[in-house]
Amino acid sequence: MNRYLPLAITALAILAMATLFLVIAPGMQIGAQGPSPGLKPYTEAEARGRDVYVSMGCLYCHSQQPRSIAQAPDAERGWGRASVAGDYAYDAPHQLGTMRTGPDLMDIGDRLPSQGWQLTHLYQPRAISSWSIMPAYPFLFEHKDEPGPGDVVVHLPAPYAPETGVIVAKQDALDLVAYLQGMKRQYAPPTDGLRDDGYALIAAQQQKQTDAAKASN
Amino acid sequence: MMSDKMKQDPRLPDETFEPFEESRRIPLPVYWIAIALAIWGVIMLVETSHSTQVADKERAAQNAQDVTATAPVTAEPAAAQGHALFTANCATCHGDLGAGSTGAVPPLAKSDLVQAGGAEAVVRIALRGIDGPIAVNGVTYNGHMPNFASALDDKQLAAISSHVATSFAGAKDGIEPTKVAELRKADAGKDPWAGGAELASAITGLPAQPARPAPAPAMAATQSADVETLVKTGAGYIWACASCHGDKGQGMETTPRLAGLPAAYIAKQLHDFQQGTRFNDSMAYVAKALSEEQIQALAAHYAVMRAPSTARPSLKGDLARGEQIAREGDWSIGVPACFTCHGPSGFGVAPDFPALAAQHPAYTARQLAMWAGGSRHNSPLGLMAGIGKALNDVDRRAVADYLASLAPVPATPKTELAAIDASIPVSEGDAQ
Repeated sequence: MNRYLPLAITALAILAMATLFLVIAPGMQIGAQGPSPGLKPYTEAEARGRDVYVSMGCLYCHSQQPRSIAQAPDAERGWGRASVAGDYAYDAPHQLGTMRTGPDLMDIGDRLPSQGWQLTHLYQPRAISSWSIMPAYPFLFEHKDEPGPGDVVVHLPAPYAPETGVIVAKQDALDLVAYLQGMKRQYAPPTDGLRDDGYALIAAQQQKQTDAAKASN
Repeated sequence: MMSDKMKQDPRLPDETFEPFEESRRIPLPVYWIAIALAIWGVIMLVETSHSTQVADKERAAQNAQDVTATAPVTAEPAAAQGHALFTANCATCHGDLGAGSTGAVPPLAKSDLVQAGGAEAVVRIALRGIDGPIAVNGVTYNGHMPNFASALDDKQLAAISSHVATSFAGAKDGIEPTKVAELRKADAGKDPWAGGAELASAITGLPAQPARPAPAPAMAATQSADVETLVKTGAGYIWACASCHGDKGQGMETTPRLAGLPAAYIAKQLHDFQQGTRFNDSMAYVAKALSEEQIQALAAHYAVMRAPSTARPSLKGDLARGEQIAREGDWSIGVPACFTCHGPSGFGVAPDFPALAAQHPAYTARQLAMWAGGSRHNSPLGLMAGIGKALNDVDRRAVADYLASLAPVPATPKTELAAIDASIPVSEGDAQ
C-alpha cells in the first residue's frame, strides 16, 4: 500500500463521474422543466398540510408516483396518469416514496375529494375499512363537549364515536386534508415532460406488428 | 507439553512479514466483459432515448387529437368527416340515413324542422339536448335527446350539423366552427330545450310546435328536503354524497358518475352495499346508515340529474377497438356488444342496466376487472362475470376509454319518473 495518490484520484474520479451522471445532469434536465402547465402552487393551508404529511411520515407507506399504463395498472386503480417531473415543481423535498403499503396518493384529491371522508379515515381508518392497517391519528383531533363556532365535527359511527360530546378536527388535521384534497393531477402533462418511457418503443413495435398482422388478414 | 504449544509453525510468516502483490496483467476475458458492458450501455442509452422520442411523438399526436376531437378524426374532407361523426354519434338513434324511428326518434332526412332551421338549429339542439314534445313533419315525438356539448367540440359539431343540413335536408350552407363556438357560449350551462315550443321561440321560422308541457310535479316535499341534506351536507355519521360524487353527480376517477343512472339500479346497488353483496368499504359505511325511504329518494334524485360529461379517455385505450366492443361485441372471445343490453349509445336501460356513456374510464375498467376477479358479483344472471373474464386489460382500457368519450345519458324526465314512482310500490324484494 504505497500508491495512495493514484488510488485516491481514481476513487474521486469514479465518484465524480457518478455524481455528474446521476445528480448533476438530471438536476439540470429537471431544473429546466419548470412546473407543469396546470399545476397550481400550494395554498397556505395546503403548504401547512404538506408539513404535517412530512412530519407524520406518510411517505413510508404512501408513494406519490403513479406509473404509466405500460408498467402498472395504476390508472385503472384510479391513481391517475403517470407523473412527470414538472408535477413535483413545488415539492421540496418531494414525497415520492418507495413503499406502497397504502395506495398512491398523487391523485387522491380527484379520487376522494370528501373532507368528511378524509377526517373520519384519519381519526380511525377501521371505522371505514375493518381490514385497514393504517395507523389512526387521534392526536390530530380533539374531544369536546360541544363543538365551538367554526369547529369541524368528524362524522363517526357509534362504535367509534365518544360516548358523550363530539370529536372535532384540530388545525393540523384540517390542513392535512386540505393538502390531500389539493392533490389533483388531472391536467394534461406537458408532451415533452421528463418521464420514464422505457416501454414506449417496445409498445410501438408491438403495435406495428399487430397492425401489420391485421392488414395482412 | 508447554514447549509444544509455543513452537512456531514454519509454514506461517513471522510477525515482521509485510504482504505485497506483484503486478500482473488483467486477464483478457475481463477486458472483453468490460467492453461488452460498455457497448451494451451505449445501446440501451440510444434505445431509451429513441423510446422517449416515440412516446413524445405519441403524446403530441394524442394532444392534437384531444384538441380537435375525442372521436378519431383524420384529415378527411369536412363532408366525409361529418358523415363519419354522424355514424359514430347520431346513427344509433337517428339511423344511418337519418330516417329516425317511427313514433320514437324523429327523422332528420327531409325533416321540415331541419329544413327551416338549417345547420344552426341542429347545433343548438345538439348543444342543449331536448326534453319535451317536438313536432317533425307533423308528427309529435316525445323528445328526449342528450346534449352533446361535452362530447363534441366546435369543429365536430360544425361537421355533423353541416352534414345533417346539407345531405339530409338539402340546405345549401353548413355552419362554421366559429359560429358553433358563439352558440356554445350563448347556450352554456342551460337546461335542455323544453320541447319544440321553446326551440321555436329561439329560432324563427320553425314549423308549428306542440305546446310546452306543464312543469314536472314536485316530489313529496319531505323527501326532497331530506335528500337535499344527505346530498349536500350528509346526515348523522354519513358524509355528503356530493363530497365525493360531485355536486352534479358527475363523479371522478374511480368515484362513479351517478347522474342519470336508472333509479332502480341505484337503489339496487345501495341495497347490495348494505347487505354485503357488493363490496366497497366507503359505500357500505354509507348504505348501512340509510333507511329504505332515503335509498329510494336518493335513487330518484340522481336518476333525474343532468350533468355534462367530465369523463375523458385517460387509459390510453384503443378507441377503435373500444367502439368495436361496445357496438358490435367480439364473438371470437365471446363478448356481446355492450349496447345490446346497456341501450343504444350506452344510455342504459332501466331498471337493470346502468348507463355506461360518459362514465369515468378508471371506474369502468376497475369494475370490469372486479367482475373478472369475482370481487363484484351482483349482476343479473351473472352476466357481467363472463364478460369481465373474457376481456383482457387492453380491451378493458379500450372499451372504458371509448365509453368515456360518449355523450352523457339523457336523464329520465321528471314527469316520467314521477309516473314510475307512483306505479311501483317500494319493496325490499327488489334488492336482489
